[in-house]
Amino acid sequence: MVHYAVRRFGLALLILFVAVTVMFLMIRAVPGDPVQIMLGPRATPELQARLTAELALDQPIIKQLAIFYGNLLQGDLGIDVFSGRSVTSIVFQQLPHTLSLIFASIIWSATLGIALGAYAAAHPNTVIDRVTAAISVSFVAAPAFVVALLSLLIFAVHLQWFPAIGAGEGFWDRLDHLVLPSLAIGLSWVGYIARLVRASMLEVMGEPHIRTARAFGLSERRIVMIYALRIAILPVVTVIGVGMGFLLSSAVFAEIVFARPGLGKLVIDSITTRNYPVVMGSVLVSTGLFVVSTALADLINAWLDPRARAGH
Amino acid sequence: MKIEWQKAAVGRRKFLKGATALGAVSALPIGLGNRAMADDSSTLRVRSYGDMQSIDPAFSKGVIDEEIHASIYNKLIQYKPGREWDWQMDAASMIEQVDPTHIKFALRDDIGFTNGYGSMTAEDVKYSFERIISDETESPNKPDMGPLSHVEVTGEREGTIVLNEPFAPLWSIALPYITGSILSKKAWEAAGGKATADPLAESGPYLRDSWSPKERTVLKRNPDWKGDAPAWDTVEILPIDDENTAEIAFEAGELDFTRVSLGSVERFRVGVPNGGTLLEYPSLYYAWLGMNLDHPKLQNQKLRQAIQHAIDVPMIMEAAYFGAAEPSTGIIAPGLIGNRAQSLVPPAADFEKAAALLAESGETNVTLKLDTLNKTTFTTAAQVIQATLSQIGITVEVNVLESGAFWGSADNEDLQLVLNRYSMTPDPYYATSWFTSEQVGHWNWEQFSNEEFDQIHNSAYQESDPAKRAEMYQRAQDLMEETGAYRFLTHEATPVVHSAGVTPALRPDGQVLLRYFGKA
Repeated sequence: MVHYAVRRFGLALLILFVAVTVMFLMIRAVPGDPVQIMLGPRATPELQARLTAELALDQPIIKQLAIFYGNLLQGDLGIDVFSGRSVTSIVFQQLPHTLSLIFASIIWSATLGIALGAYAAAHPNTVIDRVTAAISVSFVAAPAFVVALLSLLIFAVHLQWFPAIGAGEGFWDRLDHLVLPSLAIGLSWVGYIARLVRASMLEVMGEPHIRTARAFGLSERRIVMIYALRIAILPVVTVIGVGMGFLLSSAVFAEIVFARPGLGKLVIDSITTRNYPVVMGSVLVSTGLFVVSTALADLINAWLDPRARAGH
Repeated sequence: MKIEWQKAAVGRRKFLKGATALGAVSALPIGLGNRAMADDSSTLRVRSYGDMQSIDPAFSKGVIDEEIHASIYNKLIQYKPGREWDWQMDAASMIEQVDPTHIKFALRDDIGFTNGYGSMTAEDVKYSFERIISDETESPNKPDMGPLSHVEVTGEREGTIVLNEPFAPLWSIALPYITGSILSKKAWEAAGGKATADPLAESGPYLRDSWSPKERTVLKRNPDWKGDAPAWDTVEILPIDDENTAEIAFEAGELDFTRVSLGSVERFRVGVPNGGTLLEYPSLYYAWLGMNLDHPKLQNQKLRQAIQHAIDVPMIMEAAYFGAAEPSTGIIAPGLIGNRAQSLVPPAADFEKAAALLAESGETNVTLKLDTLNKTTFTTAAQVIQATLSQIGITVEVNVLESGAFWGSADNEDLQLVLNRYSMTPDPYYATSWFTSEQVGHWNWEQFSNEEFDQIHNSAYQESDPAKRAEMYQRAQDLMEETGAYRFLTHEATPVVHSAGVTPALRPDGQVLLRYFGKA
């Protein structure tokens, strides 16, 4: 297991290096003079020259990359061009907002998705199964931005059950502010996970140990909840790991629509203003988050299912 | 293989049970039931379209920073809320222009700085103003101070602002806007002349209580403020980029004041939710279609004039601005000195005249590229221009650019037509400054270079007679339009909504003056 974990995290580091390098090169390939955009139309030539030198933009791209990784190895992500604050503090100030949104989305969508999927699998080819399938597919098909806007209009404006904007203050208020954004970006995952669990459950329900359990006279409910679901849930772990990446992208629009702080909004704003240090800091952390979450999903999968480890 | 999981405190079965329990807990309803509307009568919640960038006036990025600076710092004079541009006393108890280059002032004796930095003195004024023009500061806002020479301190709270030459915008830009903020000399010198995100010493009716980046800035009433008490105990400024989101938040009762989109104006004219009010203000921004005079395809003046006459501005107002904005006559908005009553080319298209000019030009099979920002308003306007120019046989390819790439167009040698929009301060000096010969290769993308225009720009700011000054700027805009390189479109509009409990205090262009916001 330790050997597997080391290899898996080694691979994660490699992926992180490639992804961040590609992003570094891409942002520099975007047209427009970054210093002029950063400083605005009225910056003096002296100030422009100083910032160009500070950001090493007058150096060859390879040297810029080397400087970036050199600083990174020393834990220095640079300084925000506008506020003069450390990029590390800016990014880590925004990170909890994005993480809480993603985790809230995962938790509720996985819970409901697993329940729907298990219920459908326990009643295959019945009306309940078909209704569940219809609900699941509808959830998958519902565009997140439509869900976001509709939920805002219904639950924030009309019913006024939940707040429309912001991230809130204090634990319960923050939780309250998470409801609508996590609903918007998690809804399609409910359907997806439900379909996945149903298919996986139906496969497991045909396994010999389930037949054995039935032969021993165990109740159907116990068989489904204890023996089948425990195994059928394993693919969900992997999917959730990969899903972190998708949820990170969804978080960008959720942060804009719900006017929430977070990494996604930070990246968008920074790219628009060509604030290179903040762009790279945000990209590094969000890419790292994705890579680590997929690696963790693999490890949890291997931990839960010895067959997965054996495969490696 | 060694089975490590047997040693783990939490086995995989426990993990699965725990995860299931966690999921079940998360599924519990959080707070259903009718959510009371925000009813904190001491807190004013306003939307800003962006987050604060700098606490230092020398590096202020404009309106967004100024909303905060104007609340926590004082200036000698501040803009007066209303529909016409005017100023009123702030930190100054007396201010007088004794001759074209000398302005005497006296400070109120009841303004102090926070953090133990004492009373505001003339030394603070001197430090603040001279810091802006110092080469060492490298302030991008230095041009706002124009020909400021220095500030003479003649008493503890008295002084004289000395200019190298007369500068009319001193009263409309330099003193009441970004560069006019008076900082504590002691505090800033102690910090080495630089501040990051936190104010070093404040003196205004509000103090910045907290700043959560990308989330909110909270201002609290300054307990030591001796002037007229601000109406609100707390002001929360929420950076919301998307206007639709802001409108929804307003309807949900989570905002007391916000600018709304032009597309929503018609809806709000019918009625504003929660007993609110819609206010429509003009804007100072100016949008126009520019033609690159240096481009080989646009050398023919008759062709450029044909383009001017074939663009139907009222149609653009309807399609792109939802009928909520008016056609403009130039780069200087109504209400400012130098605004023209009419443009040389009428707003409505004259296709016959345009076709005749095109025929006169001798140009055939004209195909041009039109660069524009990737904002719906501009892409729609570009499509209207594309459609109307096709009526006289000119083909236009619309090239939509992301903001960073678009604002880097000075380096684009193939720039042909460009749909552009610049921001503006309440003085014509600011508008003409971008179209001088000096700006060719920087922000003068039409490459317009005219000696008379340059001369007007360099002398009009010294003119103290408003009527003469107006004539000069009107002539400057005539010169621009006569080249055929400009088709002026609009100054846009600033529609805002506010809730029933708020009496907004706005500049004539609809920008907020938070310290003067009242309660209804």
